[in-house]
Amino acid sequence: MKLITKHNFFYIVCVSFTLITTGKLLLERIDGFTDRYYSENIFTILAISILGTLVLATHYYLRRFPFIPVFIGQYLVTIGIVCLAIRIGQEFTDFAPTAYKDMIISVTIPFVIGAIVYYVAFFHEIKKANKLLENMNH
Amino acid sequence: MKLIKTKDETLEENFLELHYNTIDAETTAVLDRLKSSFGYIEGTIGERKTTVALSDIFYFETVDRKTFAYTDEACVEVKEALRDIIGNHADAGFIRVSKSSVVNIYKVKKLEGDMNMRVIIYLKNDEKLIMNRSYRDEFYEALKKLQGGNGQ
Repeated sequence: MKLITKHNFFYIVCVSFTLITTGKLLLERIDGFTDRYYSENIFTILAISILGTLVLATHYYLRRFPFIPVFIGQYLVTIGIVCLAIRIGQEFTDFAPTAYKDMIISVTIPFVIGAIVYYVAFFHEIKKANKLLENMNH
Repeated sequence: MKLIKTKDETLEENFLELHYNTIDAETTAVLDRLKSSFGYIEGTIGERKTTVALSDIFYFETVDRKTFAYTDEACVEVKEALRDIIGNHADAGFIRVSKSSVVNIYKVKKLEGDMNMRVIIYLKNDEKLIMNRSYRDEFYEALKKLQGGNGQ
């Protein structure tokens, strides 16, 4: 089933953007942290929301290929786009010295969590299907 | 219409027997539902024409644009393409699991996953088929549907 379509793409981007921004603001309020790069980070969150939704949208079209190469390919392309965006951004504005490292971590964590959730759901589905088959066969 | 189930451990093959006075609408409906399961398909083994019961077929496979039906003992070349088999015999439990194969869900023993998210289908004759990721949802839906039907 195609979960992300051209009709709900921007809706999903908006929801992701709102949730990440709310999380960021909540953490900052709890920590008493003042973000010196506030506007840059807001645009970064928007870019990540668009990129993340795009990556998930390609999942439907890549299902006929083996999962591991697809996952690695998607990860490398995402990291590549993020690094390129930082490189281009550096021409126009100042970035934190740890920008590359921070962004790579920010991309890697959701990818790893996503892969774990996907694997668990995959094997859980097989377990459920085997139970149904067992019931059918006995 | 009554359904009487009798367990007989000496039987080699299960069978259904219909006792009737007149075949009414209810009986016709039941027979129509059974028809798909007791259907036959025509094919050839070498030069010889043959007929195979759908319930005996484990899976269909396309090799070099030819479609073959695999039973426990024979491999029969059939005229129908995989999409026609799905269109005509889905009610008999046939479901697509890859671009080149269609499996009889009633002949599936168990499933196993691999690291590449492909599902290995173990058949009751100990053969294995690989289910691609893109056909997984369809397979699970069909399985749930059949289970729902069995439970009724």
